[in-house]
Amino acid sequence: MHNAPKNLSSYHKALHESLENAFLRKALDKFAVDYRASRANIFKDVPERELIAQIAAAKDRSCKRMDELFQQFKKEAEKRGAKVHFAQTAAEANEIIARIAQENKVKKIIKSKSMTAEETLLNHRLEQDGLDVTETDLGEWIIQIRNEPPSHMVMPAIHLSRDEVAEDFSRATKEKHGNDIGKLVKVARRELRRKFIEADMGISGANFAIAETGTIAIVTNEGNGRLVSTLPKVHVALIGIDKLTPTLEEALTALLVLPRNATSQRLTSYVTWIGGATAVTGAEDGKKEVHFVFLDNGRSGLAKDPLFSQVLRCVRCGACANVCPVYRLVGGHKMGYIYIGAIGIILSYFFFGRDKARVLAQNCVGCGACSDICAGGIDLPRLICEIRARLNDEEGVSTEISLLSSVMKSRTLFHTLLKFAKFAQRPLTGGTPFIRHLPQMFSGEHGFKALPALAPASFRERWETIRPNVPNPQRRVALFAGCAQDFIYPEQLVAAVRLLAAHNVDVDFPLEQSCCGLPLEAMGQRAVAADLARQNAKAFDSVRYDAILTLCASCASHIRHAYPSILGTDSDAFRARSFSEKTTDFSSFVHDVLGLDAGHFVNKGQKVCYHASCHLCRGLGVRDAPRALIRASAEYVPAAEEELCCGFGGSYSVKFPEISAQLLDKKLEHYAAAGASRLVVDCPGCVMQLRGGATKKGMTLTVTHLAELLAENIK
Amino acid sequence: MTESTQPLVDAFKEKAALVAAQVSEAADLKEALHRVVQICEEKAPCELLAPEPGTKSGPLSENKLPTRAQRIIAAPGLSAEDFAVLEKACEAKGFLCIRGGLRNYLAGFDVGLAWADFAVAASGTCAVPTTDEEVRLATMICESSVLLLRKSAIKPDLASIAQRLREMQTTDNPEYTTFITGPSRTADIERVLAIGVHGPLELHVILLEG
Ligand code: SF4
Repeated sequence: MHNAPKNLSSYHKALHESLENAFLRKALDKFAVDYRASRANIFKDVPERELIAQIAAAKDRSCKRMDELFQQFKKEAEKRGAKVHFAQTAAEANEIIARIAQENKVKKIIKSKSMTAEETLLNHRLEQDGLDVTETDLGEWIIQIRNEPPSHMVMPAIHLSRDEVAEDFSRATKEKHGNDIGKLVKVARRELRRKFIEADMGISGANFAIAETGTIAIVTNEGNGRLVSTLPKVHVALIGIDKLTPTLEEALTALLVLPRNATSQRLTSYVTWIGGATAVTGAEDGKKEVHFVFLDNGRSGLAKDPLFSQVLRCVRCGACANVCPVYRLVGGHKMGYIYIGAIGIILSYFFFGRDKARVLAQNCVGCGACSDICAGGIDLPRLICEIRARLNDEEGVSTEISLLSSVMKSRTLFHTLLKFAKFAQRPLTGGTPFIRHLPQMFSGEHGFKALPALAPASFRERWETIRPNVPNPQRRVALFAGCAQDFIYPEQLVAAVRLLAAHNVDVDFPLEQSCCGLPLEAMGQRAVAADLARQNAKAFDSVRYDAILTLCASCASHIRHAYPSILGTDSDAFRARSFSEKTTDFSSFVHDVLGLDAGHFVNKGQKVCYHASCHLCRGLGVRDAPRALIRASAEYVPAAEEELCCGFGGSYSVKFPEISAQLLDKKLEHYAAAGASRLVVDCPGCVMQLRGGATKKGMTLTVTHLAELLAENIK
Repeated sequence: MTESTQPLVDAFKEKAALVAAQVSEAADLKEALHRVVQICEEKAPCELLAPEPGTKSGPLSENKLPTRAQRIIAAPGLSAEDFAVLEKACEAKGFLCIRGGLRNYLAGFDVGLAWADFAVAASGTCAVPTTDEEVRLATMICESSVLLLRKSAIKPDLASIAQRLREMQTTDNPEYTTFITGPSRTADIERVLAIGVHGPLELHVILLEG
């Protein structure tokens, strides 16, 4: 019943099905918006960032000593009558549990929710032995009746409507039920209570396994975890070894974040702490059988990986799906394999192999919404990129990508090609400035947005003529252009140069610079991306400048975050670091460093909306500066979901045009509703996407870079 | 009550109310036990979720389930003396008051009473020692769960209860503790909040001085 996409074309087909599912679209859309608001609210009374950092650090420490923690846990738990097992693989865990069932002559099993049991396909194995297994978490029970996999780690049946549930319950109970949700919940209460009473074994997962006390903790809302661990004589908990934690304190800290992130609760209705085999009144001998089965299944290998060990920080809160703009469109069945969301993509590679991950790993737009809220502070998009790189290493790449890579390796070849492309496109643009461009000129179909043409003269070609003369500069900066502005939107850079010169800033533009490398990194072309980083670090003699300024949020974020690690071991790592540290986004420099405010602009009161580029607001944490600058030079009109990804994502919009188009639609809907005449953005990629969409739709909205708005209104 | 407990009591009440727990105060245990009887009296008759041969049933519930004709209060955690007080009050109303054998009533009973050992103000959470299976069943199988809590046992946050929890979990015996924050709930169908899936439909906390 679990399915992973086999190839891109079948995946596209499946995505289309989801995009056409009106109920799913509406439900997930509402969820995305509600979740963000309720999450923000519930985090008000705790220091979110601090707690996440604590969880990450504690998990990192624990995963280095899982063996030792396991031994300690075992000793403590066995003192209190529990039996503790270790399974190297999923199959081994299933065998252990099947054997426990056999030894206790079990016939009927009740389960509370366990993602780990989904991982090992435990039900499947137990059913082979003729055991009757019933899921008791409401959502899990619904999808069990339907024989479907969960579509969310916390809300497994979120893809279903009340009507569908009513039908399923009617079928399962052989009596007619209406679609009243309260009543449907009562049907489950009644049906499942009987199952609880009859069962002779209960299976649960665990959220924490505390080594110092030999105790597990189960976090639930429905109360089924308590019944599963209490009513039957036998209780088995299946636990990933990553759940081991040295002391209670780490678990109590994580409990401040897990429920908040998962369901916007301060704490779930129940947290059940089980330490050993307590007496049971239902058994003749009064003896309870408690088994804690620990599962490795690749976790100890992951723990040794310097980059991927952070995956083990995951507390399975499901939040990375909740905020994912792609999940919001297509749902969990298309966005993971067993585990759902960003973490699902990553775990599919490690737990279930390349076959399951190959296609899924492509479907991340890289917006960073997930890493921004992850309870374990996992750098999810980066890990997904890294998986693409590994898949490329292991399996080779398409000719398209290797062609692009070899072009990008040489700046002169890349830039010469662009020059020719400019002439080649002329007959195609029909006099309008829209056509497809690099790096996308090497591929794919776009229908949903008008694409820009390459500029008649690139910024580098115009540089000598527009280079400002600032006799006594207060500051000296170098521009890092990025491909999109150099070759498609040089006017954005020209505007910035004008503004800077007007405020006594000398500007330089080192011509040896090339693409920042982000598009290559996103395609998993690590070696070329590193090459480009090296070239750029060399092109800028960073000690000569107060700042290296880029008007492209994506370039800025990539240079700031990725360069130091990409070039970390290089002989010129120092140069890379200093280049990276000096790199600043346009808004922060103009607002925070130059201190430009309302006094420096004529404000004609134009109504202006703002789109917060992913790489600026989340990538660099810059949120106030651009809005303050808009307020200083125009009338800022807030719009809904300003921080939602526009769907550009570099090559993502080429690979998944159907999703990119929907994301764009949503954004444009919000801006139409806000009723401004202009939309400004801090990133040329977003300009391309949003302007292309607005043009295609015939909207009157003008889309420009923030620098252009500011330059037009210099006092 | 000392001055220092009042802010914690207020915070606890506020957070507990946010998760649909009903918090009240009682001057002493006697008053609290009478409140328990009153809660039992005012609630709708208990639904029988499973067949229970030999039990007299009343009219069908709104979910079309048979209901228990005689109301039941389970209070396994009370001292013999306190139980006697409760039992007497129950007798006067015709309710059955039990301290053990709760497995005979897994189809559901009206009220389960238990002592909370401590509470956490920041989330409105009660920590209930449930190693005794009868006490555990009292808090799980009932329709209305009533917890007794001393005001002095309210602690500010999870960090401040770590040591106490550790002590509970490191005795020589098997152990089972439950943190309870509001009644049983789910949002698994269309994310609509519904109270009372597998556990209690109501949670009452009665605060006692001391
Ligand atoms: S990766 Fe982070 S956000 Fe996603 S489920 Fe795990 S802890 Fe939650």
